[in-house]
Amino acid sequence: MKSLTRKIIGIGAAAAVAFSLAGCAVTTGNPTGGDSTDREAKDEYRVAYIARAQADSFAAWLANEMKSEAEKYDDITLEVFDGQADDEIENRMIENAIANRFDAVIIQANNADAQLPYIQQAIDAGIVTITTNPRVEGLTGGNSVDADPYKQGAVVAESALEAIPENAKVVVLNGPAGNFHSTARRDAWQKEFFDKRTDVEIVAEDIANWNKDEALTLMEDWSLANPQIDAIISMNDNMAAGALEAVKGKSAFDGILAYGVDGTPEAVLLIKDGTMTATSLQNARELAELNLKAVHDLLTGAETEVNTDIGNPLITVDNAQEYIDLYKEAGLITE
Amino acid sequence: MLSQLKRIDVSRYSIYVILLVVVVAASLLSENFLSSDNIFNVLRQVAVITILAYGAMTLIIGGMIDLSAGAVMAFSGVVSVMVYKSTSNMLIAVLAAVLVGVACNLVSAFLVASLRTPAFIVTLGMMLIARGAVLELTQGQNVLQLGDFVLIGQGNLGWLPIPVLILIVVTLVIWYLMNQTRYGRSVYAVGGNEEAARAAGIPVERVKYQAFLVNGVLVGIAGVIFMSRVNAGLPNAGVGYELQAITAPIIGGTSFSGGVGTVFGTLAGALIVGVLGNIMNLIGIGSYVQQIVMGAIIVVAVAYDVFSKRGKAKTTILKSDAKGETVPPSGGATAAPPGGARTAS
Repeated sequence: MKSLTRKIIGIGAAAAVAFSLAGCAVTTGNPTGGDSTDREAKDEYRVAYIARAQADSFAAWLANEMKSEAEKYDDITLEVFDGQADDEIENRMIENAIANRFDAVIIQANNADAQLPYIQQAIDAGIVTITTNPRVEGLTGGNSVDADPYKQGAVVAESALEAIPENAKVVVLNGPAGNFHSTARRDAWQKEFFDKRTDVEIVAEDIANWNKDEALTLMEDWSLANPQIDAIISMNDNMAAGALEAVKGKSAFDGILAYGVDGTPEAVLLIKDGTMTATSLQNARELAELNLKAVHDLLTGAETEVNTDIGNPLITVDNAQEYIDLYKEAGLITE
Repeated sequence: MLSQLKRIDVSRYSIYVILLVVVVAASLLSENFLSSDNIFNVLRQVAVITILAYGAMTLIIGGMIDLSAGAVMAFSGVVSVMVYKSTSNMLIAVLAAVLVGVACNLVSAFLVASLRTPAFIVTLGMMLIARGAVLELTQGQNVLQLGDFVLIGQGNLGWLPIPVLILIVVTLVIWYLMNQTRYGRSVYAVGGNEEAARAAGIPVERVKYQAFLVNGVLVGIAGVIFMSRVNAGLPNAGVGYELQAITAPIIGGTSFSGGVGTVFGTLAGALIVGVLGNIMNLIGIGSYVQQIVMGAIIVVAVAYDVFSKRGKAKTTILKSDAKGETVPPSGGATAAPPGGARTAS
């Protein structure tokens, strides 16, 4: 018994010595980081772009634009990694980028809070770090090129203030539960529209996970349960298009208003056609241009910090053709 | 009369009783439920999943599984859309979808039947391959402006929606294949006891190829209906559909241990899931609660089905494991003897 007590005391003492030698500093992540101030000029810089999910049509468009834009810089090699809309995978990708000593990393967070400590590790490791679409708040250091989901929702919600009739009945389609973009866009609709238009009644609201088919099924059912629906308010264009598909050809829903966010090729075609009402554009090309310019300026020392935003232009029937032309140029609309 | 009634095996019809209860409850909860518009609405909504479920049922009865159905459906549907856009020929577009579905499934069949690799692993790999292929093909972008391609998913033949017509035809064909052909009897035999089926002279490998072939055709057809219904070629479509497709036959009495299951049980299983989703949307129940209810219904339906059959498996033939030793079958379900006898739910 005495011997066991001695052993326990001995182990405890050894642990205490080990902690004190380590200065009691507990750190996370890869301990091999350098310092941002000792960056040297190079002929070629390796940049990692960690995309939220390449199966998501907007994120895939952004990744493709990033690759195209990177080709314009002789001294930049861009490698794209797919976060697969999974926080754990995205965090692992950031850790890998740090371990593989990339010169810079551009991160499209899947969930800002979940990625924050890992992004901070990249910054602390001396890697040029840019967060994009969305900007990740709460970091010490770092840079950002943003398309703000609140502003994207707000610009559409403000346009609906006048357009949606008095005492209207509306349905609301949300993205996946807890998704940063969906939550911020829904928050914008609440503050910029529903709080100001208390006469408007939400007759149905549910999650369709950004998916066109899920929105189609929900709207098929809602349109049977609610003979009057004046507007579809959707947190992305894909779901708005799916809901419109459900009421296509039903005379009771002629003239239904439909609002989305993203400015996808399908949405601008529907808006031009008069089927959809409005959306706001996340311009992947503009995001890619600003991201690559920012990373190049930061790596070459032309800038020490970059925090910039792209616009959130409202697309309506008046300017839809302009965006159809943009998509034709990008090869995303073919006819 | 009473003695005749006593002879009716109620447990055999338990899944239909559950469906009837769900339908009656739904009609009491919403006056819209039994409207003709809503009945066709539900049938349109369940068409894709039910067609996938018949494929899943065939494989599960044969002792296999397909985890790639959702991804292969997206792949075949998108290819079909692209072919239609370049040829404007619906027949060629449908054939292209079926071809993609069959090709993917034959690769799986080769690995499962010829190389004896577990179907779970093979189709898990195929799920990733097919999803990657369709994303690469489209660069992650939706294919738009489908023109008359939407007729298959959104059109009507007289008063009958075309997806519902396709569902009826597919149901009858699969029922015929499973009940009236040597192929069907062989699938039950292989799933019930593979070694005994082999000993009885059934060409086990060929039967497995045929089961995957049937699944491939069904997945291709489902892909066409899906893309046509949503009026777009969606490369990220059908995520999780493989599990929904497996759910319907399991609710409908298909045994995971193979050799047991019926076409109409699977149809009833798909309808139970479809009606529940529909009624919850009609009365405004949110998706969080919907998931809880769906999960509970799956567990209760399967537990009731197993419970109602308990005690009826006294004449079970002992199954043979891979080493040739005899082991009792699990779950109270009867294992099919070689030669094709089967238990209907």
